[in-house]
Amino acid sequence: MTSTSADGPIVSLVDATKDYALGSTVVHALRGATLEVPRGAFMSIVGPSGSGKTTLLNLIGCVDRPTSGRVTVDGRDTSKLRERELTRLRLHTIGFIFQSFNLVHVLDVFRNVELPLLLQGQLGARARRERTLALLDRVGLSDHIKHRPSELSGGQRQRVAIARALVTRPKLVLADEPTANLDSATGESILDLMKDLNRDDHTTFIFSTHDARVMAHASSRVYIEDGRVASIEESADGSPAVAAGRMPAPVTPSADPG
Amino acid sequence: MLVADLRIAWLSLVEHRRRALFLGGAISGVTMLLVLLTSLSTGVRTTLIETATTLSTGHVNVGGFFKVTGGMAIPAVTHASKVVEVATEAVPELEFAVQRGRGWAKLVSATGSMQAGIGGIDIGSEQRFRRALSIVDGSLDGLEEPGTILLFREQADKLGVRAGDALTISAQTTRGVNNTVDCRVAAIAKDVGMLSKFNVFIPAASLRELYQYRPDTTGAVQLYVRGDAVDDLGPITARLRTALQDAGYGVMDPDDRPFWMKFDTVSRQAWTGQKLDVTTWEGELSFLTWTLSAIDGLSWVLLVILVAIVIAGIMNTMWIAIRERTREIGTLRAIGMQRVNVVRMLLLESVLLGLFGALLGAGMGAGLASLITSAHLEVPLAVQLFLMSDEVRLIAEPGAVLRAVLLLTAVTGLAALQPALRAARLRPVDAMSHFG
Ligand SMILES: Nc1ncnc2c1ncn2[C@@H]1O[C@H](COP(=O)(O)OP(=O)(O)O)[C@@H](O)[C@H]1O
Ligand SMILES: [Mg+2]
Repeated sequence: MTSTSADGPIVSLVDATKDYALGSTVVHALRGATLEVPRGAFMSIVGPSGSGKTTLLNLIGCVDRPTSGRVTVDGRDTSKLRERELTRLRLHTIGFIFQSFNLVHVLDVFRNVELPLLLQGQLGARARRERTLALLDRVGLSDHIKHRPSELSGGQRQRVAIARALVTRPKLVLADEPTANLDSATGESILDLMKDLNRDDHTTFIFSTHDARVMAHASSRVYIEDGRVASIEESADGSPAVAAGRMPAPVTPSADPG
Repeated sequence: MLVADLRIAWLSLVEHRRRALFLGGAISGVTMLLVLLTSLSTGVRTTLIETATTLSTGHVNVGGFFKVTGGMAIPAVTHASKVVEVATEAVPELEFAVQRGRGWAKLVSATGSMQAGIGGIDIGSEQRFRRALSIVDGSLDGLEEPGTILLFREQADKLGVRAGDALTISAQTTRGVNNTVDCRVAAIAKDVGMLSKFNVFIPAASLRELYQYRPDTTGAVQLYVRGDAVDDLGPITARLRTALQDAGYGVMDPDDRPFWMKFDTVSRQAWTGQKLDVTTWEGELSFLTWTLSAIDGLSWVLLVILVAIVIAGIMNTMWIAIRERTREIGTLRAIGMQRVNVVRMLLLESVLLGLFGALLGAGMGAGLASLITSAHLEVPLAVQLFLMSDEVRLIAEPGAVLRAVLLLTAVTGLAALQPALRAARLRPVDAMSHFG
């Protein structure tokens, strides 16, 4: 299932489980998820609130490790990596977009977007500036580079977050309910932006949602229920195919509302 | 990278400027106090050394005792000019030497009396006396005449005399009979703390007359050496001892006490005749250095308390800051900031605050020190005893100021270490799910 070649799936999970100890009880947030995400996918993780979407994205995003099973990102088995290496993997391979934006509030828009490049420490000031400005232009925030996050609307903040996630040209962008804190029109435009970036740069996007309109944008939908992959559905519009799920893939009409 | 850490650290300080100003102010205050305390200590030490090495000791002294019988020791050096000769040869670092008669006598005026140590001086050969004392009544030149005396202000008040008034000095001679000399008060000097408490000065000739010493007898030969030699007198005293022994003198074993504490010891020894005692200013003043220790001790106690307060304040503030920024730290970790960078970022924030606060405080401390010194603030008598002067003198040495800045900066940095390490150990998932 796993591959170390650059042509293999960008993400693969094999029987990944995640338990949380909650006092004396154990919460089984993921009960064995198996999934492959091909490079270039525009995939949505769909499921009601509490079904395990965030947990799944955390495992894929290397901010958490599975209790059992295996998670491979860009050909690297995350269970074999140390904290330092996981952090490096996150910095260089993955971009994050959060539900509540999570911008650094003391930094202005430009500095927020530039930050991952500074952390990488590979580009000089001029190259960082060019890259940052280009992305801000792309997300339509060229006029706001000096603004602080608190001076922006929700949609603008999420655009900043998208620019920040993409500034390192990651292979994989993860977005946990990126539109949940936005009104539907703004959410649509954010989705359109993500989709454009996916199409133009072939960056893999995985985003979670429980909103039917949002999931309609995805080229493939992974339905999860109770910590399990219930089904996988692909759009007929010729988007990249998604490989094996744990179960056969019946088409579930819609997810429960959150 | 450092740029990112530094930028966020700095901007976070600016963001929470109220808190930063408050803490930075506290750090400034402590630094300022520290600078003032060390300046006080340095000031007193400098004054003590300057004044004392003029009035009561040279850098190196050749004193000694003469014993007629086994039981009675006289603080005298006979044939002083020969001693000066030997010393001049043995100590090339020598700048100049003066002779100082030593005695203990009773001063009697029309209205009062007191016991005092009597220094016999030859005012014409004293090169630093005028600089060390400030005369409030009469003139030092008067001491060129025999039968005159130099008093300090408190003594003059006690005896009820002014310049020009008469005094009688009464003492036991070496033959065990009482002798008196009549003197006129030539000058009254400002008090110099403990140093002026029990000391008066009369012309060397008058002292010899009082004790009926021979012309070439003195109490001690005080040697003053070049500035760079003052810090390490060990080799000089060793050389001097050998030279004196070679010249045929009996030389006492090294003993780091002032000469007047040695009477008992010397009296109990069986020898008679002349023995010389080579001492340094540190030994002669060892009875005074407790005042410096007291000032330094007080500074330390204060310092420890204040630093503890600063540490508590910083740690507390860092905890609050880190709680507030848990989500931000989690986000930074998620997007790829390493743990060490998180620690560095938080430490930088604290160190920046400490550095700015301490620099400001040190500047204020040094400024205030020079202001206080130039204001010539008079201090109460009891305090004068400690300060060895009737004025507050604060000397802010650049090295000491720098040390204060470094100390406070390091302390603020260290105080932030534990909270910073804790923050860095937070897992990004936990940090991001933290709302607050
Ligand atoms: N840190 C945690 N400690 C305990 N239980 C957790 C933790 N995180 C998530 N859970 C539980 O795991 C399950 C899945 O949560 P999550 O992945 O956040 O679902 P979703 O994102 O789909 O709403 C839920 O029942 C949730 O309560
Ligand atoms: Mg969630």
